Amino acid sequence: MVKSFAPTTLAEALKLRKAHGLTLYTGGTDLMVEAKEDASYLFLHKIPELKEIKQDAQYIRFGAACTFSDLIDHPLTPKILKEACGQIAAPAIRNIGSIGGNIGNGSPKADSALIFMVTDSLVRLVCEDGERMLPLKEFYLGRKKLALRRDEIIAEVLIPRQNLDNYYYTKVGARNALAISRVAFAGILDVRDGVIRHCATAFGAVSDVILRPAEIDAMLTGKTLTQAKALRQDYLAAIDQVIVPIRGRVGVEYRKDVCLNLVRDFLDVNGI
Amino acid sequence: MKSISRSIPKKDHGEKMRGQAMYVCDCPTEGILFGRMVRSSVPRAKVANVKLPTLPDGYCYVDKNDVPGTNEVLMIVQDTPVFAGETVEHIGDPIGLLCGPDEREVLRLAGEVEIEYEMLEPTFDARESDVVFFDYAYEKGNTAAAFAQADHIFEEDFETGLQEHMCMETNGLIAGSSDGKIHVHGSLQCPYYVHKALVHALGCRPEDVSVAQDVIGGAFGAKEDYPSILACQVAVAAHKAGKPVRVIFDRKEDIECTSKRHPSFCNYKVAVKDGKVTAMEIEVLYDAGAYTTMSPVVLQRGIIGAPGIYNVPNLKVHGQSRKTNNVPNGAFRGFGGPQTFFAVEMMMEHVAKNLGLEPVDFKLAHLAKQGDSTSTGGKYHFPVPIAPMVDAVLKASDYRAKRAAYQNQTGRYRKGIGLSAVFHGGGFTGSAERDLLKSVARLHKDKDGNVEILTANTDMGQGLFVAFTKIVAETLDLPHDKIILTMPNTDRVPNSGPTVASRSVMVVGELIRRAAVRLKDEWKDGEEQTVTEHYKHPEFMIPFDIKTFSGDAYPTYSWAVNAVEVEIDTYTGAIKLVGGWGSFDAGTPIDENILRGQMEGGFVQSLSYGMMEKITAEKGKIRNNTFSDYMIPTAMDLPKLEILLHVEDYPGGPFGAKGGGELPHVGGAPATIAAIENALDTKLGKAPFLPEDVMNHLREVNR
Repeated sequence: MVKSFAPTTLAEALKLRKAHGLTLYTGGTDLMVEAKEDASYLFLHKIPELKEIKQDAQYIRFGAACTFSDLIDHPLTPKILKEACGQIAAPAIRNIGSIGGNIGNGSPKADSALIFMVTDSLVRLVCEDGERMLPLKEFYLGRKKLALRRDEIIAEVLIPRQNLDNYYYTKVGARNALAISRVAFAGILDVRDGVIRHCATAFGAVSDVILRPAEIDAMLTGKTLTQAKALRQDYLAAIDQVIVPIRGRVGVEYRKDVCLNLVRDFLDVNGI
Repeated sequence: MKSISRSIPKKDHGEKMRGQAMYVCDCPTEGILFGRMVRSSVPRAKVANVKLPTLPDGYCYVDKNDVPGTNEVLMIVQDTPVFAGETVEHIGDPIGLLCGPDEREVLRLAGEVEIEYEMLEPTFDARESDVVFFDYAYEKGNTAAAFAQADHIFEEDFETGLQEHMCMETNGLIAGSSDGKIHVHGSLQCPYYVHKALVHALGCRPEDVSVAQDVIGGAFGAKEDYPSILACQVAVAAHKAGKPVRVIFDRKEDIECTSKRHPSFCNYKVAVKDGKVTAMEIEVLYDAGAYTTMSPVVLQRGIIGAPGIYNVPNLKVHGQSRKTNNVPNGAFRGFGGPQTFFAVEMMMEHVAKNLGLEPVDFKLAHLAKQGDSTSTGGKYHFPVPIAPMVDAVLKASDYRAKRAAYQNQTGRYRKGIGLSAVFHGGGFTGSAERDLLKSVARLHKDKDGNVEILTANTDMGQGLFVAFTKIVAETLDLPHDKIILTMPNTDRVPNSGPTVASRSVMVVGELIRRAAVRLKDEWKDGEEQTVTEHYKHPEFMIPFDIKTFSGDAYPTYSWAVNAVEVEIDTYTGAIKLVGGWGSFDAGTPIDENILRGQMEGGFVQSLSYGMMEKITAEKGKIRNNTFSDYMIPTAMDLPKLEILLHVEDYPGGPFGAKGGGELPHVGGAPATIAAIENALDTKLGKAPFLPEDVMNHLREVNR
């Protein structure tokens, strides 16, 4: 018997989740492509706790049921995230598609998830018995594989409060709207007093999961721009090693070339 | 502009915007059977056995054995079966149709039909095929001598790909019987094509069949030949089941299994003497797919236009369309023209570059002019307005300054601009309007002075009803609301021919104009009156012989000059359309807004044919079968296109109108590729050219 539920409180949702499993549904813009007739859904869009956007001392916190339009319109949303959300699909999709769904769909092409990866964001997972926080990088186990237990719901995405002003973001789709990323790249470089305090990059639509080569980016952290410049070739060679595109709609060579071009440009515009 | 050109609101806007228009999928389904096609999953095989699941009461399976007449879809050549015979020839070839009252159950049961195949070797590349469906050739002058005396000889290959129509509405038809008659209605461009096909397949009399059009959500040729196939299938099913049967394709089925634009492979050899092209030797090859459908006439139009708009004194043209085990290719806006016009425009571009000349000037120096002979030894009876049109487009686009500025670019973003000049011949090729179609159109006046237009022509969004209404209203000096025009039903309308080939306004519009002139002369208040007009072949035409390809292929030509500007991101390969300018001559516009809309829409379709649209198939299986995988441009991908209308009246068309529908889809791709060439400082020979191709090119250059 196919049954779907639309709870209005998180407690109720968690109870239903534990009892029936159910397919979590927050927007449905990915799920409706599959349109499985025998699926039972747990609709999460009516739960106020999952729609909040707020901040505390450490994080900017986005409820998982927030739509891309909610984020675009909110003053707390960092610019890099607004820019990425603004390039997702088209207004109708942005008005209903959610960040929780974007992450939960488990696709390496998820455009908001790329920004949550490059910012080393966390997900707050809740169930009837409690909750846990997980770095998003650890939440992704593989293509369409998540570290989400059968009784858990993604409740929040938490972006660490840090300097995100100096960012680089490029989405390459087959057209300017209603296009799934063929390659997406995000980079963050926090430079203060000529010293790189933080460097982070992430690559979407390349591998089974969004790539976030933190150990390579660490090569540049703590360095002056001049020192970083001297490391440029080593850094690029290391990035080259990790960009191993899997087969997709567009060629492997194409996606690799584009990734490397964008990383080079990221360094160029920052004088590295 | 003449007074008739002043725009009026389209008659179908209101009901479409309010959601009241009845498409075939909106028709009530009580008592109807849903049908799902059982299709071949392999590209070529003998069908050894078909094992059906147990069918519940009220469900039935229909195949070749149920066709009461002949298991052939009547087209130009009778090789398309209603349902596959002994063999299947492409993935998606229909083997049978499973029908029943519950749509989901029908889908389930159709999925459980087991087909046993004995595999046969398929061919997917037309160049490797040894089955030649059609082979045409013609010559003019003395090419051998011209090549012998040439200063330079240049030779190049060109390729174009498949293009899918991407109508908002997929193919769909309903068949049923009442009063001892089979009725078919739905999404179709050509009611009488379908009518004739039904008579042939059902083995019945013409009066035993009626065909009606429902509101159509886009066609572009997709609903020219294909509905004849689907109509025979649903009619056979309705005949067997004794109940109405409806088949409406989902998007995947529509993309994977219905016709597309023929891929082409062309070879051009050009002789140049004293800086002028003296001869061309042209080889044209079109991939027909598994059955012939419209391939002969598509190829004819392709080879007739092969030397473009230029006066080439010595010409040798050979064209073939060959069988492959791909989906059969059929009608698509431009109908064989876009492929060879792409090749010849690129060839002229490259010859000019080889000679160190600006391509636009080189092209202008070779233009045919009024009175010159055409490729087939016919005559350009009317002015060739390309020179002033090029002038207008050069000015509007600032082409020359940009072309000069865009030399030797090295930065990340590189700009380019390109220009093409093309024609489209209105109406059927050669004498087919006279010998095959013999169109008839009728006007009927009631006692209150309302005049009904009776033709078989269909409005599929292109605005035909507005055009026909205005032609009759203007001629009779009546307000538009005194003119009645409804969707055609073959029970009521005479055969005025199909709504294809940019012929409806020029040919049928002229018939109803003449009928209106007669009705005005004979007008009697308070009486019912009927006026019927028959097609008259233009007397000035030099008779066309399809065997030798000699004479006037078309009475007149519509002309287009397109310029396209792009900006290429060499980091990502992205090709951004920066500007598009088009000057179009389709004679007098019957409605300026509608003509502009046609020109913009066709221009866009042609641009994306050049730089965006690509079918990805593996061993005959089309992979990109959705709107999210088969790319067509959104509004976000397009610059504001500047549409200029040039008017050369055609005395044989109503109020001077010529063919307009296909004209804008001929020249966009070569202008786009020329712009990409300009940006990348290279020569290219294929369309589409995509971001991946840009990056491959840059990788080669940097190597």
